[in-house]
Amino acid sequence: MTVSLPPSLLATLPGHYYTDPSIFTLEQERVFESMWFAVVRSADLATPGKFETVEVGRESVLIVRGRDGALRAFLNVCRHRGAKLCVEPSGEAKRSLQCPYHAWTYGLDGKLIAAPNLTKMPDIDRVEYGLVPVHLKEWLGYAWVCLADTPPSFEDTVIGAARDRLGDTEMINHWEVDELDVGRRIVYDVKANWKLIIENFMECYHCATIHPELTEVLPEFADGYAAQYYVGHGAKFADEAQGFTVDGREGLDRIGGVGEDEDRKYYAITVNPQVFINLVPDHVIFHRMFPAAADRTIVVCDWLYTKQVVASGRDVSHSVELFHRVNQQDFDACERCQPAMSSRAYARGGVLVPSEHHIAAFHEWLTGRLAR
Amino acid sequence: MISVCALADIPLGEAVRIDGETPIAVFNVDGELYAIDDTCTHQDASLADGWLEGCMVECPLHASCFDLRTGKPTGPPAKVPVRTHRVVVRDGHVYVDVAVTASA
Repeated sequence: MTVSLPPSLLATLPGHYYTDPSIFTLEQERVFESMWFAVVRSADLATPGKFETVEVGRESVLIVRGRDGALRAFLNVCRHRGAKLCVEPSGEAKRSLQCPYHAWTYGLDGKLIAAPNLTKMPDIDRVEYGLVPVHLKEWLGYAWVCLADTPPSFEDTVIGAARDRLGDTEMINHWEVDELDVGRRIVYDVKANWKLIIENFMECYHCATIHPELTEVLPEFADGYAAQYYVGHGAKFADEAQGFTVDGREGLDRIGGVGEDEDRKYYAITVNPQVFINLVPDHVIFHRMFPAAADRTIVVCDWLYTKQVVASGRDVSHSVELFHRVNQQDFDACERCQPAMSSRAYARGGVLVPSEHHIAAFHEWLTGRLAR
Repeated sequence: MISVCALADIPLGEAVRIDGETPIAVFNVDGELYAIDDTCTHQDASLADGWLEGCMVECPLHASCFDLRTGKPTGPPAKVPVRTHRVVVRDGHVYVDVAVTASA
């Protein structure tokens, strides 16, 4: 049914897109398991044997640093009888990855090394019966995996998202994101559908209402136009603000490659389907979303500073506190919307005002993927 | 005496497994060769697939360590030693003189 709307308004998705488990399953298959998905900060797995397990779509994925120093990703499933191989979210394997069920034992490169009676079964190929590999690329100091047999172009879909927002491919490199260290990490367990979080991040119509601290530092945000509304636009800091901090006090050391043109500005990028990147002169805020259910999303937020700032133990709390508050304010709003998604009042969805119209492109992108 | 392989075919820190009724593993520890029964005495696993550290090899399955010089396990789960065998190198070729009884 087509709803006639005044030209100022565009329709959102209907409410059931945010609550229906069958839609969420379709999203797992056609979005999270089909696209590049940022899983771990590479430096968190600094030495051979260090691993993390993460949920990507419906799969558990194991990311492990090999003896050769390379990061690899595998489906976290023993090839023998299907037991989950690593049950811990993170850890350090001494030499191998061993299934706790029948002790099938894999090298850090995924190859089957040993199994009870394996020598009596010389016809078992150790690569063929090794762990199932998953595509992995590293960019901005994060490991991104793709569960598809043939992944989409990383250049187009991931790096391209930053290029499309910033207006040029090279610009993000000024922040030297892969060289930064994690100054703070906060994990949010948000009782809301992942799309509510993306949509929230894409617009700033709410900023003047729920983000008093943010609009103090970025006055133009009170007008309701988010950085995602533009191409190549950095929101200017308020004249009174010394830095991107909760009380406008001075920030930390400016990142080396950030130029004068980019100083005292805030840039924001969404990389569909689960990454948000905020760039300010002295730090980078990197969000990874892990959609867990139609009504639950885990968000891992890293505040990244120069190695010198982190190593010196300087106080980053005033800059962390600003976006931590923004996150809490945003996620509270998303959690307020989630129960209403199944209301009769929202059965056909809501509306987007002009400063939110670019969210319609996200909806078109999503429904296009689900319709494939 | 059984013929194993050319000396050059056992790189430093590696092992070669000789299949047979009782498989045997020959290890190259910094140029010194040691031969033991290849099968862990706890569960059927190839010690040649294990991890060599000094004169000890760790079973890849349950991490019992065996001393290549004596065949003795250092701790559980393996309790029974593996046999050790004399290694002979002649004209660049490796041979093993298979022991008849288990070494204690």
